[in-house]
Amino acid sequence: MTTLAIEGLGKTYADGTEALRGMHLFAHSGEIVALLGGSGCGKTTLLRLAAGLDQPSAGTIAINGREAEGTHPAISAVFQEPRLLPWLSVAHNIGFGGRRVANGERQRRIEDLLQRIGLEGYGGRWPKDLSGGQQQRVAIARALIGHPGILLLDEPFSALDAFTRASLHELVLTLWQDLRPTILIVTHDVDEAVFLADRVVVMRPRPGRVHETMTIALPRPRNKLAAEYDITRRNVLRAIDRSLAEDRVAAAGGGAVSPWV
Amino acid sequence: MKRSLTGLIIPILLCVAWEGAVRFGIAPGRLMPPPSELLRTAISLIRSGDLQTHVAATMSRVGIGFGVGALAGTLVGMLTGGSPVTRRLLDPSIQALRAIPSIAWVPIFILWLGIFELSKLALIALGVFFPVYLGTLSAIEDVDRKLIEVGRVFGLSRAGIMLRITWPAVLPIWIAALRSGLGLGFMFVVAAELMGASEGLGYLLVYGQQMGQADVILVAMIVFALLGKLSDAVLVGVTAPLLRWQDTVRARL
Repeated sequence: MTTLAIEGLGKTYADGTEALRGMHLFAHSGEIVALLGGSGCGKTTLLRLAAGLDQPSAGTIAINGREAEGTHPAISAVFQEPRLLPWLSVAHNIGFGGRRVANGERQRRIEDLLQRIGLEGYGGRWPKDLSGGQQQRVAIARALIGHPGILLLDEPFSALDAFTRASLHELVLTLWQDLRPTILIVTHDVDEAVFLADRVVVMRPRPGRVHETMTIALPRPRNKLAAEYDITRRNVLRAIDRSLAEDRVAAAGGGAVSPWV
Repeated sequence: MKRSLTGLIIPILLCVAWEGAVRFGIAPGRLMPPPSELLRTAISLIRSGDLQTHVAATMSRVGIGFGVGALAGTLVGMLTGGSPVTRRLLDPSIQALRAIPSIAWVPIFILWLGIFELSKLALIALGVFFPVYLGTLSAIEDVDRKLIEVGRVFGLSRAGIMLRITWPAVLPIWIAALRSGLGLGFMFVVAAELMGASEGLGYLLVYGQQMGQADVILVAMIVFALLGKLSDAVLVGVTAPLLRWQDTVRARL
């Protein structure tokens, strides 16, 4: 049971680039929140701040109501690339994420996760011997072995083909149903956001900020072919259109645009 | 296996041609002793125990010089690569010293350390130091930041990151640096022994030259080649288990 509260979060890099401004977000325990936006929306910046990899320039991040600084044992992450440690076997890579778990229990979870990610018998292999999709599965297992309260996903499927991506969506949802981590996923893929998330936060660029938050009320398991799915998807697309229109107005110098829509 | 045999074709052909050229009086055997005579010389040097003495002297110099130089290069490289501050502080001075050709240290080493063992070891250690230092430093700088972030996200301490991410990531380049350091160690032991020694393969070179015995010189050269190759193979063999995860390093051997 872990909540994530982001308040007034801002990040300006040393070169003066304002990547994120006045970001507010509350993720309920076990909720899946998708941050949707193009490049320059500060999505990845937000995730790096939440992971404790970068220091915010303004605002706070609280986990279960307590302000967090730096990395946090409750927070785990999957990155855009698998980022497996090439000198560790697949099993040891998974185990790397569960250093706080007792030895025997860790071993049991590794076996269990290997099976659940469909890589039973691959524990002794090297990461380089796996395909990109398989490596990302291992990265997901590594992120979940410690049963994190919060799982951050930074466009983890963007480099994969559509088939692999769909199967990884299913995998993430199954694991989420069992372990119920709060998930914050960054994506530029509307389908991915609608299929996975309870809430979609549409973001706007330069500086990155929230444009609009939408609740996805579709029941699970979701059917991508259902009419309601299509309607929801179109609603999200409309929200993106509105944000682009506002960007055009702002770019044309059309007066102040409130970041709080 | 087949490939290594293919590599033997040219040396064997050369040996046969050389032997033939001397036998048929086309080439002067005194300055270009044929393989058969080299073999005889080598056997007599082994029988008398001379070759063993010289090999032992040379190898102990290389061993000590390499050990000291590699250790120092690694430690200083780690220190320099450890933080931007130490890097900015130390690296320029070390680079300046590196600009001095190592052989140019010989006279001052002899003045400081005498003409016996110590100055020789210092020269070898110096020769080994720079490649190992540079390799260690650049390896530490090249460690993928993204992997270090993985360590941070999963709660490793600074020391933990050093031990479980930086160190294994650095290993392949460090070992390659050790190998080039070892190669330079052999280069500098020759220089050290040429500048005055009473034993060692380098001494055997000088001796052969002074006595006009080309066969002794050539035997010493061949033994140098064998020892260099053998030491490298030992180093590769000892470190191979550490690099099993990497294809590219093995392919480079």
